Amino acid sequence: MQVTLSQIYKSFGPVEVVKGLDLKIADGEFLVLLGPSGCGKTTALRMVAGLETVTSGGILIGERDVTHVLPKYRDVAMVFQSYALYPHMTVAENIGYPLKMRKSPPAERDAAIRNAAVKVHLEEYLERYPRQLSGGQRQRVALARAMVRRPSVFLMDEPLSNLDAKLRGAMRSELKRLQAELGVTTIYVTHDQVEAMTLAHRVAIMNKGVVQQIAEPRRIYDDPANLFVAGFIGSPPMNFLDGEQKDGNFIWPEGRFKTGIAGFAKTVTAGLRPEDCRVTSPDKGKIKARVYALELIGDHTLISCQVGDRTVTVKADKSAHYAMDEPIGIDFQETSVFLFDGDTGARIRASSR
Amino acid sequence: MSAPQKSLAQRLFEPKAIDRQSLVAFIITYALLFLWALVVLVPLYWVLITSFKGPGEVDNGPFYLPFIDFTPSLQAWDFMLLQNYTLGPYLNSVVVALASTTLALLIGSLAAYALVRIRFEVKLAGVALFVLLLVAVIAAVASFGVTWPIATSVALALFVIAMFTFIGRTQAAVGNNDIEFWIISNRIMPPIVAVLPIYVMFQQLRLLDTQAALIATYTAVNLPIVVWLTRDFFAAIPLDLEESAEIDGASKLRVFATIALPLVRSGLVATFLLVLILAWNEYLLALFLSNVKAQTMPVLVSAQNTTRGPQWWNMSVLIVVMIAPVVAIASVLQKHIARGLLVGAVKG
Ligand SMILES: Nc1ncnc2c1ncn2[C@@H]1O[C@H](COP(=O)(O)OP(=O)(O)OP(=O)(O)O)[C@@H](O)[C@H]1O
Ligand SMILES: [Mg+2]
Repeated sequence: MQVTLSQIYKSFGPVEVVKGLDLKIADGEFLVLLGPSGCGKTTALRMVAGLETVTSGGILIGERDVTHVLPKYRDVAMVFQSYALYPHMTVAENIGYPLKMRKSPPAERDAAIRNAAVKVHLEEYLERYPRQLSGGQRQRVALARAMVRRPSVFLMDEPLSNLDAKLRGAMRSELKRLQAELGVTTIYVTHDQVEAMTLAHRVAIMNKGVVQQIAEPRRIYDDPANLFVAGFIGSPPMNFLDGEQKDGNFIWPEGRFKTGIAGFAKTVTAGLRPEDCRVTSPDKGKIKARVYALELIGDHTLISCQVGDRTVTVKADKSAHYAMDEPIGIDFQETSVFLFDGDTGARIRASSR
Repeated sequence: MSAPQKSLAQRLFEPKAIDRQSLVAFIITYALLFLWALVVLVPLYWVLITSFKGPGEVDNGPFYLPFIDFTPSLQAWDFMLLQNYTLGPYLNSVVVALASTTLALLIGSLAAYALVRIRFEVKLAGVALFVLLLVAVIAAVASFGVTWPIATSVALALFVIAMFTFIGRTQAAVGNNDIEFWIISNRIMPPIVAVLPIYVMFQQLRLLDTQAALIATYTAVNLPIVVWLTRDFFAAIPLDLEESAEIDGASKLRVFATIALPLVRSGLVATFLLVLILAWNEYLLALFLSNVKAQTMPVLVSAQNTTRGPQWWNMSVLIVVMIAPVVAIASVLQKHIARGLLVGAVKG
């Protein structure tokens, strides 16, 4: 079902935690709320669940205004960041609890419990108690308990945070598939950008209680709306250089290069993704640098380059090899330079001349 | 998980490497434990053997060992259990203790749960007005001859009007902490201080010397203890659990019944035992509020202190039959007092 948040504000006492949240989530959409710790993701999710009142604003699920509706009548399922398993119930009883509360017949219930348990690979643990499970297994019980029903909305608060890398990858694709099959609208909170990029239909990036950009994962990466989004998405993060834009050139203490954006004098920050940079000989590159450190990371090498008193990271081939302090040049296409307003951090696009 | 539990015997007699220092500690520990055991067990033993004595053995004593320095007789048992009507007071005690404890636990745990999970803000002016009107009603009825129904309905009307008009606009309010303190403050002075008003009240209600009067009084007197003990048990439950249950479709009452209550079971069992023992042994209030029909065991025990002097043997019989069920209940319930019920609920 479609979920609409309009102008949601939330304060705890004098502290404003969510500031003017506007989200329209389509039926069956997988929306990921992404942002650093403490930015208000959990709070936003809890307001949709009805566990937290809104200070102002409105929430619709489908056509229904649920702003002042109790959680039990909102028909949502939630995976808590803390799992919130019922310690006195077995795994099977935990998973079956939402069905029991909604009075589904016992025979149907057993089948549904088994089904949900199989999906998270817990079918052998149905008779155990939460205290007899590992952290990852507990988290999967919490997932199964949410997915045992077909609610209007799934709310998931970092449901994969406690799994090891391998299991997380597996659960990620499992989750994506399940969500597509069930077609249930999902709001998924995480601070892991890989999860966000792989799972989401659209990503909403939050910082300090304000949504910075809502877009498809590719757009978020290719066309960040501002400095925060550009710096948050991408690993390793984008290189930022402070300087001035003048007549289509970026001018900074270490030199100048063309930006592909015509424009007049203004203090700006230029952004360069490490993967858009290439290492060449010192006289060829747009930036002169010295090799500071090399890190081989499996399929590629990260080269930290010293440029004046700044460090610029370049992503190079895994076979790349340079000596320490070797002088090099950094080259890139002028179209891969991002420009941001030096004062507001807003993106300056080629069209906005 | 920890290693499998060993039985007491296994733990006691397990061979251990004992060095000199721990040998000293070992001796001191067991000497102290032995002393404590004496303090606890000797009176019990004494009561038990006294119940098999008669006036002669008690007056000419002390005798310590049945069959060796005195001949035990069942005379006191025969007298108390067959000739005397002990069953009546015994049943009174059972009914009063069980009923009042159950009621106190039911009401008290609900109150404690509410105090932990709901934020109250009661206007101080409202409380003051309530007390004021209460006093006014009593004064009107007692001194000016107004009838009860008229006085109470006028007061109620005034109260409602005031609540809906100016009291809502006052600032000062009492919160959960104040309510909790007020509840426990009811136990700061011993309940016997209030025995006269309680007596008069039940006299007016024509409930003196009934089980109902004792049940009501014990429930009220033990409520603060229940609230105070159980609130900490409820507070230990992570809020996430209850919120999750709410989202899963449970009403507040079902959250209480299916999540909160099972998780505080241990604590409730312990509280039940404590309150049961308090009610079971209560003497002073029972002395005032009961006479013949509702007489309880503690009163009957003290009644054995007759004009012919204390009948120690009869008293001992009564005490033995009083102790037995409590020991039985405690040992049955003990296995429910488990720890670590919350393990695995939330991260960390
Ligand atoms: N009940 C509360 N009372 C006061 N402040 C709160 C409360 N709940 C959350 N906050 C504050 O609101 C802010 C946002 O909290 P929230 O839990 O939504 O962050 P988050 O984005 O989920 O972070 P994380 O990724 O660490 O889980 C934090 O600064 C937190 O201290
Ligand atoms: Mg959070």
